Amino acid sequence: MSKKIMVIPCSGMGKVLGLVAREAALKVATELCPGEAQTVCLAYIVTGDQEAREKIEGADCLPIDGCPKLCAAKNAEMAGGIIKREFRAVDIFKEHKGAKPGDATALTEEGWRMVDELADRVKDAVKELVREG
Amino acid sequence: MKIGVVSCSGEDCLGGTISRLATRKMLDEIYPEETVTICLPLFLAGGVEERGFAQNFPTISVDGCDKYCAKRATEKYSGKVSDAVMVADIIGKEAAESGPLSTKNLTAEHREMVDKVAMEIKKKFEAVLKSSSAGKKLNSGCGCGCGCGC
Repeated sequence: MSKKIMVIPCSGMGKVLGLVAREAALKVATELCPGEAQTVCLAYIVTGDQEAREKIEGADCLPIDGCPKLCAAKNAEMAGGIIKREFRAVDIFKEHKGAKPGDATALTEEGWRMVDELADRVKDAVKELVREG
Repeated sequence: MKIGVVSCSGEDCLGGTISRLATRKMLDEIYPEETVTICLPLFLAGGVEERGFAQNFPTISVDGCDKYCAKRATEKYSGKVSDAVMVADIIGKEAAESGPLSTKNLTAEHREMVDKVAMEIKKKFEAVLKSSSAGKKLNSGCGCGCGCGC
């Protein structure tokens, strides 16, 4: 594997979904799989800069989107990343109907539990990709 | 009158976290009624409506580092920004480009950085608000737009 696996969150500004996606990605890259995965600024990918493209082109990507607009997955794919699997915070939310995760600024304990669950799923995908080589 | 604040939210460095939180402070506390935002990646992943953001609202970009992704992406896909805030200029380049930070690990020092950046956004926001309101007044009731009041 020439490049680390790119874990790319949408970091959506308007909804708690974006913050959950962002925190899950940071947890995977800095705590759960620091040697195998890294984050990359989605905003940098959006600029379309050559350097940003080179960073992501041909790399295995695990986008984590907040909502069904799938900004992270779409932008990573447009930049030449290979989407191995897509994650959506909204799917975790559906499994926790009635939960109060917080807002786009700060998470509650319930919100952090959702981050942990999502991060665990992404971690499993990272480990699987590493095993596949 | 609403003004757009577009943050880079950079996931690679501390500046991105500070940029995001300062922008959220504008939305939640400082000017909740007057501030609007958009997810930056929607300029590409979204449609015509999203790309019209900077044409519909005077916009201030907030960037964590000197790559100016929020400013450049907004201007590339949507429209010219009215002003730009650079987090690295406020908290220092070294701090801004240090490792990414989870909001779980925010310290008092980080919160102070957020407040400083939010104050800078506020300053620019008020200047844009003033000039936009003045522009509105100038053109009000005047079809020719010259400000003569005819």
